[in-house]
Amino acid sequence: MTEKTPLLEVRNLWVKLPDEEDAIIRGLNLTIYPGEVHALMGPNGSGKSTLAKVLSGHPGYEVTDGEVLFRGENILELEPDDRARMGLFLAFQYPMEVPGVTIANFLRLAYQRRFDTEVKYTEFYKILLQHLKKLEMDPSFAGRPVNEGFSGGEKKRFEIVQLSLLEPVLSVLDETDSGLDIDALKIVSNGVNAMRSPERSFLVITHYQRILNYITPDYVHVMVEGRIVRSGGPELALQLEEKGYDWVRGELAGATAP
Amino acid sequence: MQATSTLSRDLVLEVSQKLQEPRWLLEKRLAAWEAFARLPYPTLKTEEWRYTNLSKVPLEGLALELPTGQKLSRQDLPAQVRSRLEQAELSGVAVFVGADLVYLELPEELQAQGVVLTSIAQALQTHEAPIQNALFRTVGWNEKLQAYNAALFTHGAFLFVPKGVEFDAPIGVFNYLEGGRLSIGRTLIVAEPNSKAVYIEEYVSPTPVHEGVNLSVSELVLAQGAQLRHSHVQTLALGFYHFHRTRALLARDARLNDLTATFGGTLARTETQSELAGPGADSEMLGLYFAHGEQHLDHYTLQHHAEHHTKSDLLYKGAVKDRAHTVYSGLIKLEEAAQKADAYQSNRNLLLSSEARVDSIPQLEIAANEVRCTHGSTTAPVDEMQLFYLMSRGVPKHVAQQVLVKAHLYDVLTRIPLLPLREHIERIIEEKVRL
Repeated sequence: MTEKTPLLEVRNLWVKLPDEEDAIIRGLNLTIYPGEVHALMGPNGSGKSTLAKVLSGHPGYEVTDGEVLFRGENILELEPDDRARMGLFLAFQYPMEVPGVTIANFLRLAYQRRFDTEVKYTEFYKILLQHLKKLEMDPSFAGRPVNEGFSGGEKKRFEIVQLSLLEPVLSVLDETDSGLDIDALKIVSNGVNAMRSPERSFLVITHYQRILNYITPDYVHVMVEGRIVRSGGPELALQLEEKGYDWVRGELAGATAP
Repeated sequence: MQATSTLSRDLVLEVSQKLQEPRWLLEKRLAAWEAFARLPYPTLKTEEWRYTNLSKVPLEGLALELPTGQKLSRQDLPAQVRSRLEQAELSGVAVFVGADLVYLELPEELQAQGVVLTSIAQALQTHEAPIQNALFRTVGWNEKLQAYNAALFTHGAFLFVPKGVEFDAPIGVFNYLEGGRLSIGRTLIVAEPNSKAVYIEEYVSPTPVHEGVNLSVSELVLAQGAQLRHSHVQTLALGFYHFHRTRALLARDARLNDLTATFGGTLARTETQSELAGPGADSEMLGLYFAHGEQHLDHYTLQHHAEHHTKSDLLYKGAVKDRAHTVYSGLIKLEEAAQKADAYQSNRNLLLSSEARVDSIPQLEIAANEVRCTHGSTTAPVDEMQLFYLMSRGVPKHVAQQVLVKAHLYDVLTRIPLLPLREHIERIIEEKVRL
């Protein structure tokens, strides 16, 4: 393992909102090697989604310390589109609606940038349909405005359509499971599993253990109050499910007590 | 091209004589001249002109362009017009270069049904009665610029659609202005009962030009059950000052679909007014504008409900970049008789630079008590989260911004069922985004 280069290395990351004093992420460390699936679990407000957004370059946060190395390069100064072209992908917890922009037009632009190629509209349309089909979405979605009028489940599935199309090397799934019924969860999980390969890694952020029944992680981390307090194998997720987050909180309090 | 520079009563006489007009028309022109001489120009203190300063506009500083009798063949038309003719899929064409109707084309099939398309001056020879009945009916001379136009208009198109005649392929009327002059034109459309017509008027010019002023008026008279789709598309070069008023009069069950698209000129003030004078009358007014550089684009709209069970729906969308300034002011006026009227008005603006400016003033004046009426206005920069979403998929910032500007304006375009016109406007928007 040690001779491999990490795909992602987060070192002592501190993040806050621009107009607030208190940090949301407080000295977080995380290393992901190629081919690994990591689950990041934690209670609401622990900073999981903030981490996802900071990794992808969301403009609303301020990094006060630390670095994020992706494929060996510190990406914190890079624009979101540069990160995406390097193969980083965020499946949004709340995907944006973009009225007036059709899925086909938008994703053709994205596809051309990601693979540095020109593709004719008709040709791209065929490619897009294959990916829609994988996620059991109707071909008519290609001509619909991005996320506008989609149900919660359709939005989540469409995120995975994009993941499947753009073939990222690191995919961050931000609570993709929340709001999905069991059938949709299976479809989404199948889409993700089909992408797994020795080169490709995933960071699955979730509040619940449920999705991990379908996407089996190599590592599970528990995040509380802005840092990872415990890491382990898939069994950790089951323990959490059984004992709840108070269990980790309690251990944490015990450990840090004088 | 002939021109004359001094505004006077004699100039009114000269214009009317040159056009060999009947006595009644000269008399109206002279009445308009009296009003013009008496009325002051609007200033920033005039409520409806609060954001548009006329003090630097050479309103009386340029020579009035007069007709010369020039004619052109289709292949000799100005390049800007020819390229539009190739793309626009029109059923009839009229081209004015300056004050001359230089080219005219109307399919025999429409002529056989009694459709008339020509200049007002020409049409007076054959259709004097409907012209006398309709001219100045919707736009008179009680305001300065309208009086200016009524007294001194030198040219303009007349479209007559007889009772029950319908056509869907648009008639295109091009006003080609060379700049350096004052151009005053007037359009009259008379749609008889249960007729149906599509009409596009475009204002085009070469680029660049000397300073020019255009003062135009379009009168649309829709009889009972008539349907008219009317578009005003202005793509003049920088250097032009464009002042235009379209006003439609809708009888019972008449339906107007209007589009006002403004992209050109140094300063443009475009007014679109609709008077719903019969029950069941329905007016859709769409607006689209995009200002760049130092442009000043002002739109004024009026939805005037004079009768019960009338409906109006207005959507004006604009984008503004650089140091440009756009103004939208719109009034919904519901008279006491306008019970069960339905009026909707929305103005949405996209700000693309912190130095750009938008003023938006929607207004209501309601005298009826049983109406449905909503209005609203928004002005906002590009949505940061939408931008982030597009960028997070690898789309560079400037491309994502282009996509969002087009998206902002396109939902107006999608309401226009004239594909060639939509494509033309889309290209203009794309060019402007890149400027």
